[in-house]
Amino acid sequence: MARHIAHRLMISMPVLLGVLLIGFLLLQVVPTDPATVSAGPSATKADIEAIRQQMGLDKPVWLQFVLYLARVLQLDLGRSMISNRAVSEEIGLTLWPTIELMLACLIWAVPLGILLGTLAARRRGTLIDRCIMGLSVMGVSLPVFWVGLLLIQYVGGAGLLPIQGRDGPIWTASGLQSIVLPAITLGAVFVGPVARMTRTSLLETLSADYVRTARAKGASDWRVTIHHALRNALIPVVTLVGLQIGFLLGGSVVTETMFAWPGVGRMAVGAITSSDFPLAQGAILILAVGFMAVNLIVDVLYAYLDPRIARS
Amino acid sequence: MTDSALPLQSDADQRDIAAIRRKNAVWRRILKDPPAALAALFLFLVVAAAILAPWIAPFDPYSNNMRFRLCPIGGPRCPQFLLGADAQGRDMLSRMLFGLRATLGIGALAVIIGGSIGAAIGLMAAFYRRLDTPLMRLVDVLLSFPAILFGLAIAAVVGTGLPGLVLALCVTSIPSIARIARGAAQSVMQQEYMEAGRAVGLGDGALIWRYLAINCWPTILIYMTLQLGQAILLGAALSFLGLGAQAPTAELGSMAADGRKFLTIAPHVSTLPCAAIFLVVLAFNVLGDALRDALDPKLRQ
Repeated sequence: MARHIAHRLMISMPVLLGVLLIGFLLLQVVPTDPATVSAGPSATKADIEAIRQQMGLDKPVWLQFVLYLARVLQLDLGRSMISNRAVSEEIGLTLWPTIELMLACLIWAVPLGILLGTLAARRRGTLIDRCIMGLSVMGVSLPVFWVGLLLIQYVGGAGLLPIQGRDGPIWTASGLQSIVLPAITLGAVFVGPVARMTRTSLLETLSADYVRTARAKGASDWRVTIHHALRNALIPVVTLVGLQIGFLLGGSVVTETMFAWPGVGRMAVGAITSSDFPLAQGAILILAVGFMAVNLIVDVLYAYLDPRIARS
Repeated sequence: MTDSALPLQSDADQRDIAAIRRKNAVWRRILKDPPAALAALFLFLVVAAAILAPWIAPFDPYSNNMRFRLCPIGGPRCPQFLLGADAQGRDMLSRMLFGLRATLGIGALAVIIGGSIGAAIGLMAAFYRRLDTPLMRLVDVLLSFPAILFGLAIAAVVGTGLPGLVLALCVTSIPSIARIARGAAQSVMQQEYMEAGRAVGLGDGALIWRYLAINCWPTILIYMTLQLGQAILLGAALSFLGLGAQAPTAELGSMAADGRKFLTIAPHVSTLPCAAIFLVVLAFNVLGDALRDALDPKLRQ
C-alpha cells in the first residue's frame, strides 16, 4: 500500500510542477515592476535596484522559479493587487465555503444518483430505465448556468430562498437557507453521471457468479440487488464519483459566480477579470492542488477497498 | 458465399467490402434509433442555420434600437421580431442565429486544432512503441485535469477573449482524441499491409501518413464530432463567466450572461440562448452515445 501511495505521488509530481510553472508565469506577466511598486513613488534608481536585488529579481529566471517554489512551500503567495491582503489569507477565507458547497451538493446528488441508477439497472430495458437514462443524458447536457438562472427566476423571484451570497456557516438556519439553491444547481448536473455509472456497474455485478448463487439459494430479487450486488457495484461508483470532482469543480466555479457564493472559484474568476495576477495565481494553484489531493485520497481509498488495484 | 459469384475477388477486396458494409451498418443503426436520428436531423438543421446566418438572419444582430428594448416574444411593440428583442433592442432571432454561428464555430475550430494535435500524438504513440508510455502519460495527465482549470489558467495568462477561449477548448480536446487515435492506430498497426509497406521500403513518414492515418481518420473524425458537444458546453460556460467571448459579440454563453440582469422582467433574453445550448449539446450527446454503441460492439449489450 505504501508503495502504491508513493507511486501515485510520483506520478502527480510533474503535474504539480506544471501547475506551479503556470503560477510563476502569471506573476511574470504582471505589467508593473514589483520592485518599483514596493519602493514607493519617492524612491531613487539606486533604491529600486537595491530592492530588486533584495527580491531576487536580478537573478536568472530559473533561479527565480526555484525561489518562487520555496516561497510557495512557505505558503507565501504574494499580495492581492486590489485588496493588498496576503493571497494565502484570501484563500483561507474562501476555501471553506467552496468545500461546504461541494459537500452540500454531494449529500443529495450522490444518493439520488445511486437510487436512480439502481432502479434503472433493476428495470433494465423497460420504460423506467429509458426515462432515467434519458434524464441522465439531459443532465449531462445541461449548462449549469441555466439551472441556476431558472432557480433564480422562479424560486428566487418568488422570494422563497436567498439567491445571493452566504449568510453564515451551514449549521446556522440562515446559512442553510442560503446554500440550498447553489447546492441544487451544482447537484443537478451531477445526478446524471452518478446514475449512469451506478447502472453500468450494477449491471456488470448482477451477472457475476455470486449473484447467481444468491439467487439460487432463494434470496428475493431486491435482497440480491441491494445486499449482494449493490455493495460490490458501489466500489467503482465511489471512485468514479471521486474522479468526477474535477467536473464538480467546473460546475462550482459557475455556481459560485452566479450566486455570489464567496468561494475559491468566484475569487478566481474575479481575479482574472480584474487582472489581479497574484490572486489569480493563488486561486488557480489552490484549485489544482486541492483537486490533486482529492484524486490522491480517492485513489488510495480505492486501493484500500479493492486491494487488487494496488497490486496491479 | 459470395466468393463463387465473384471468383476474381482478392482478399483485400473482400476486406474493403466488409468495411463498407460495416460503415453502412453504422448509419443504418443510427437511422433505426429514433432519438439518434432525430438528433442527427436537428444537428444538420442547426449547422445549416449557423453557416447560413448572415443570409437568413432577418435583421442585423448588432443594430440596436432602444424603442424595442426587452420587447417580449410576440409583443405588440415589435411584431417584426419573432423572438423579441434584448436589452439593447436588438432582434433576438438574428442574435440567436449569429450566436449559434459563433458558439459552434469556436467549438469546431478548437476541436479541429486540438483534435489534430491529439490525433498526431495518438498515431505517434501507436507507431513508435518507445514513445507510447511517455506520450500516454502526458495524455493521462491532461485528461485527469478539470477542463475548467485549463480555462481559468489560460484566461489568466493570455487574457479574456476569443483567442484564449479557443486555446483552452483546444487543450481540453487533445487528450480524449489522442486516446481514441492511439486505440484506432494500434489495431491498424496489426494489419498485414503495414508490414507490407515497410517491406516495400517505405519510410516512416509515408507509412504513418499514407497507411496509418488514412485508415484511422474516420474513427477520429467521429470522435471529434462528439467532442464538439463538450467543447460547446465548456466554451459557453467560460463565456458566461466573462472569460470568453466579450460583450457585444453575439455568442450564446455571453448572451445568456447578458440576460441575467433582466430575468424577472424579460426572461426570454437569457432563456433562449440557454435552451439553444442545451438542445445542441443534448443532440451531440444522444448522437454520440448511438455512434459509440454502433462502433464499439463490446459496449452493445
